[in-house]
Amino acid sequence: MSGCGLFLCSVAARFCRAPAAFTVIRRPLLTSPPSRAFAKELFLGKIQKKEAFPFPEVSRDELNEINQFLGPVEKFFTEEVDSRKIDQEGKIPDETLEKLKSLGLFGMQVPEEYGGLGLSNTMYARLAEVIGLDASIAVTLAAHQSIGLKGIILAGSKEQKARYLPRLASGEHVAAFCLTEPASGSDAASIRTRATLSADKSHYVLNGSKVWITNGGLANVFTVFAKTEVVDSDGSVKDKITAFIVERDFGGVTNGKPEDKMGIRGSNTCEVHFENTRVPVENVLGEVGGGFKVAVNILNSGRFSMGSMVAGMLKKLIEMTAEYACTRKQFNRNLSEFGLIQEKFALMAQKAYVMESMAYLTAAMLDAPGFPDCSIEAAMVKVFSSEGAWTCVSEALQILGSSGYARDYPYERLLRDSRILLIFEGTNEILRMYIALTGLQHAGRILTARVKELKRGNVTTIMETVGQRLRDSLGRTVDLGLTGKLGVVHPSLADGAHKLEENVYYFGRSVETLLLRFGKTIVEEQLVLKRVANVLINLYGMTAVLSRASRSIRLGLRDQDHEVLLANIFCSEAYHQNLFTLSQLDKHSPENLDDMVKKVSQQILEKRAYICTHPLDRTS
Amino acid sequence: MGAGGGGGRSLSFETPGAKATKDKLMECNGGCPTGKGMSWAQAILLARGASRGWGGICSTALTGAPFSQVPPQAPRGLRCSAAAHNPDSSLVPHPPEPPRRPVKALAVHEELFRPALDGARNKANFVRAVQNFTEYNVHKRGHVDFIYLALRKMREYGVERDLSVYNLLLDIFPKEVFRPRNIFHSIFLHYPRQQECGIAVLEQMENHGVMPNKETEFLLLQIFGRKSYPMLKLVRMKLWFTRFKNINPFPVPRDLPQDPVDLASLALQHMEPDLSARVTTYQMPLLKDSPDAMDPTETHIVGIQSPEQQSALARHDPARPIFVEGPFSLWLRDKCVYYHILRADLLPPEEREVEEIPEEWNIYYPMQLDLAYGRSSWDDYEFNIDEVEEGPVFAICVAGAHDQATLAKWIQGLQETNPALARIPVVFRLSGSSGELLPSSSELEEPPPPPPEGQEEEDSQQRQQQGQS
Repeated sequence: MSGCGLFLCSVAARFCRAPAAFTVIRRPLLTSPPSRAFAKELFLGKIQKKEAFPFPEVSRDELNEINQFLGPVEKFFTEEVDSRKIDQEGKIPDETLEKLKSLGLFGMQVPEEYGGLGLSNTMYARLAEVIGLDASIAVTLAAHQSIGLKGIILAGSKEQKARYLPRLASGEHVAAFCLTEPASGSDAASIRTRATLSADKSHYVLNGSKVWITNGGLANVFTVFAKTEVVDSDGSVKDKITAFIVERDFGGVTNGKPEDKMGIRGSNTCEVHFENTRVPVENVLGEVGGGFKVAVNILNSGRFSMGSMVAGMLKKLIEMTAEYACTRKQFNRNLSEFGLIQEKFALMAQKAYVMESMAYLTAAMLDAPGFPDCSIEAAMVKVFSSEGAWTCVSEALQILGSSGYARDYPYERLLRDSRILLIFEGTNEILRMYIALTGLQHAGRILTARVKELKRGNVTTIMETVGQRLRDSLGRTVDLGLTGKLGVVHPSLADGAHKLEENVYYFGRSVETLLLRFGKTIVEEQLVLKRVANVLINLYGMTAVLSRASRSIRLGLRDQDHEVLLANIFCSEAYHQNLFTLSQLDKHSPENLDDMVKKVSQQILEKRAYICTHPLDRTS
Repeated sequence: MGAGGGGGRSLSFETPGAKATKDKLMECNGGCPTGKGMSWAQAILLARGASRGWGGICSTALTGAPFSQVPPQAPRGLRCSAAAHNPDSSLVPHPPEPPRRPVKALAVHEELFRPALDGARNKANFVRAVQNFTEYNVHKRGHVDFIYLALRKMREYGVERDLSVYNLLLDIFPKEVFRPRNIFHSIFLHYPRQQECGIAVLEQMENHGVMPNKETEFLLLQIFGRKSYPMLKLVRMKLWFTRFKNINPFPVPRDLPQDPVDLASLALQHMEPDLSARVTTYQMPLLKDSPDAMDPTETHIVGIQSPEQQSALARHDPARPIFVEGPFSLWLRDKCVYYHILRADLLPPEEREVEEIPEEWNIYYPMQLDLAYGRSSWDDYEFNIDEVEEGPVFAICVAGAHDQATLAKWIQGLQETNPALARIPVVFRLSGSSGELLPSSSELEEPPPPPPEGQEEEDSQQRQQQGQS
């Protein structure tokens, strides 16, 4: 930032020296139209208070309803589901699946008119906490309804919904989502599966193979993405992706044997092959050639539930490890008396608290009327919760010592199960790119005029920017109105709120600098984008916990002081992390090691090996 | 490296020697040996640098007077007049093959190296010869001549890289005799002929990349003492050898394979930067004992092609011809390999396809931002490099013969993995000479470069590769 500032100064100086007779046209400052996107506004250094404060609530009735429903499910999961057996046998027993179906868990988000439960996102998140107790079941259910049948809900026609949703909601049919191919992970252009329209235009003939299909062996209904020829508006024929609803009964659908996986072993993952499968034209999902958007929408909508799922698992984990730590004696003291053990519990509680807050805040945003675009928020929840799950389970294992490593205890299974969270539904690396780029696109559009003027050397804008930077560097107190008289954050959290405000403000500045520096080529700066995403995730987490803890205090919920502690711990930690990350984003800071890092990896990848000579080697 | 005449050279004594050593090492390490004349010149310069180094430093240290301005020839002449046989270049150790060495002295010991009964020329016989010399020549008469002779014979016996043999040679020197006994001995070259000989031994070690060890140092200490030129040379070798040993980023194995096919694949892998590239042997050479072994069409053809080159070739516009060019030379240590490339001309700018980012490409995140501005000039790290763009190279091959018939076989072989090649016209542009100086000795086993043919044969030899081989 300093380098940029210097440059601006010099430019300003150059222009000041010229006693030019230009007319200063004061352009009205561009302000964004009021939008509901909370995370996108953070990129501009603003907090959309209305979106995140106060923390969303559900009505008393809804709460009663969900609690009523939750009872039997919780009982079933704690008493009847044998996760160990599922893991060992690599299969969910049929009676368990039947019970799940009878509980209605296969149609949680299917509208009631189609025989589902019609749960809102918030309620779904609540239920996911329980389902998360067994990862294999959670993944099976998520593949079924978060992505498998989501396409029909989001893009399906009335007939399609009426035809498929009832049986899918009851669990009579299981759904699967078929996108990944051997040659195509996130690269849609390299999809090889092809659907050709038959001569009589009554059906498509589908050919191709899909890999890593969860539920591939169980499913009867597949959402399949394939290339079709589409005539463009200008008359040229192009290959475009189209989504299809494919029933197993259409014929030509086969699947390979289940993959032997590290974790979530009870879920069924396999290859699915389509060979001359005849798909009626009515089964095109959405428009012909519009499959890309369908896929993006399905994937973006399915992510937020991981937050509460992991939080539910972590709560259980804390119970189990606390039990161990309070009974295991070493040196005549319980493990729980050692500081290093205590620290781990604080960490687990903090992570669980943050991801819970983020998940429910996001769920409430999604439940808001209209179709709010909360894909960034959902992606942030997914990244934060998957990484939190991995660290927390690993720490729990550490508390247990060798027992945690043994197969007799559930911890190693939890560790194996949680590893997949960082990989599927878009790897965390990819999601970080998504988070950062989507936000930067938004900020870039709004800042375009400003950046252009800066680049053109408009004196007013430059002076404004320089003045702003000067004020910033002299240490200004940032007040975005979270605290104070009309503040939305409770005074006991004022410290955290100030930290958030400061971070948000300087994040906005950094984003502006980055856009000035890189413009649209920032797409290539993945290390920068990763940091932008990391800061944003922290900011969102801070907002969520501040909002939630404030609500708890104001309502007088039980153990609110505990919440305040957790919120303050997280805000403080995240604040310092953010400061460090923001300084890394600065071009000339000593913290920025990107060039060195890149060089090292380039050299390694050129040789495709570890380069250093052995420490025992000598030249003579 | 102007180490010629003139004053003041003593002060810069470190540089010439060091640089010469460096040059030489890089050369042994697998760069291109530039021919004997060059290394001989370097040897001379190196020795000059080495010898003057001590002289200069000793004299300045001792007198503090501008002694170093005095041409070093004067004191040397005084001391050496008795022993020198060719005083004009007394300090220059002769490279192994200088013609000036008195022939008479050599004949005395030549018989020791007569082929043994079994006729084998190996280390055991070499060691026996040296031992015979020390046994029958108790007074070590003529040991300097013998050492020079032995140095020359080392290569024949295949022991030129054996440190123990060098130590054995040094061991022939009588101990303690040549050590300087007082300060003047060490200022003025003490027993110059013997010191030269010692340097020559080290020099040959250097040329073959042999690193002296403790024993070498101990022997030199015993023979010449701490303040002697061989010792100085040894210290420099110890310093620079380690530093330059791994300086070549593209190391060549020390012992090159004898089999031409293996050598060819080594050379190809040496040139190809892509580690995914695959070496294919399109044709094995006929066995030596087969009747028509001399038939040039039956030599080896080894090629390399990376997957990227393959896909580039598949994308190539069949309307544009591609060229087989060569032979070009590649030196691997002392061996020269000739290769040919399959390349195309650079597309004219108006025909190049602009790589477009399709709109619906990445399912997870946008591949491009919809912004009107790009990278700022102060974040543009690109140096202003004037780059010469070249056309793509699709494959490289090394063949035993450089005629069109052989290379056509390579193209036919390539067609199996590159079906697109069948539709592309291939033009052979074979130049007569490789553009390299050729070693005059007949030691090298490489086939001589192709005889000069017609220079530009494009039009006459253009022919379309038909569909199937």
